[in-house]
Amino acid sequence: MKHCLIVDDSRVVRTVAGRIVKDLGFTVSEAGDGASALQRCQAQMPDVILLDWNMPIMNGIDFLTSLRRSDGGKAPVVVLCTNEKDPDHIGEALRAGADEYIMKPFDADIVRSKFDQLGLV
Amino acid sequence: MQDTTFQQIAALAHHHSGQDLSPAKPYLIEARLAAISRRESFASLDDLAHCLTSRPNKRFEAEIASALTPKQTQFFADRDQLERIVTHALPEMLKASNTGRLRVWCAGVSTGQEAYSLAMRLSELEGSPLCQADIELVATDLSAKSVAEAQAGLYSHFEIQKGLSVHRMLANFERQVSGDWLICESLRSRVTFRQHNLLTPPGPLGQFDLIICRNVLPTMARDKQIEAVAHLNAQLSPKGQLFVATGESLTGLSEDLEPSRSVRGAWCHSQTLKETAAA
Repeated sequence: MKHCLIVDDSRVVRTVAGRIVKDLGFTVSEAGDGASALQRCQAQMPDVILLDWNMPIMNGIDFLTSLRRSDGGKAPVVVLCTNEKDPDHIGEALRAGADEYIMKPFDADIVRSKFDQLGLV
Repeated sequence: MQDTTFQQIAALAHHHSGQDLSPAKPYLIEARLAAISRRESFASLDDLAHCLTSRPNKRFEAEIASALTPKQTQFFADRDQLERIVTHALPEMLKASNTGRLRVWCAGVSTGQEAYSLAMRLSELEGSPLCQADIELVATDLSAKSVAEAQAGLYSHFEIQKGLSVHRMLANFERQVSGDWLICESLRSRVTFRQHNLLTPPGPLGQFDLIICRNVLPTMARDKQIEAVAHLNAQLSPKGQLFVATGESLTGLSEDLEPSRSVRGAWCHSQTLKETAAA
């Protein structure tokens, strides 16, 4: 079973996203900021990371940049999942190494569609 | 909703769009007619049905029939089939054509995502013979409202994220102040949208090399499916191919159409298949 790490400072978003991703057949773990997400990745690299942008301690882009430079950090599929909707922001996320992008608010169909396009389901 | 109201609305849908409404799902009818019912200040669908009887109005009936049709669609709904069309079916047809022109009809496209997906995929081709071809894309739907939305090419936050990768979204759409996303002019002008009912002969639309009609026929009653397929068949050029959704079949709906032996999901004229096999 593939593993998905959900990184978001909102417990509600983590819970909702977690339910959706579990329904897609993934095991799920959570982190509330970029720094703790990096620690989790160092312990065990997930297959997919659903990543918020604006978080305390370390934001999503800083986390993503660090992740992609780390050992094995190019492997996980990273899907930004954020309130940022400006095309310039989206471009910045892709340049930092995101594979896909979800604009909040999202629903199960959007997550399924993005995971499907990435060949994850 | 009273039984007589259901029967009246079901008969109207059957007549206008061929739709086969299920008595087991009255909530679908209520949900799809809610906006019209509110706009016309009907207290209930029973009132709406009474109005249809007491003051018959063909235009209002057609609007109700089109509101009752399912509107579910998304970009790149069947990527595998789209790839077969773009990399196999259309290039083969182009090879056989002596004009360099191909005509494609997307029938029952709702708000246009399917037709724009094909236009998008064609625009991405590099080094394909299709790049030099003159490919006309015509897209139709029963609903005037859906056709207007398709022509506008404006998609909501939720619509734009279903089926479309972020790369295609950025390459082909522009975010508006409203938060909606507008398709680029080059793709919008690539598709001609028209209102059209599959139950009426589409003569003026002309002949097509390829017709895509996905997820429309299964919503229809069998007699109307046969009627609609006859019309699609009549518009299909002798060597044309008709694509329906994966899992749909035209078996028993037309004696003149058979599954293609070379392209999965495509249906061709039986006579053409025989001639090809003989050759």
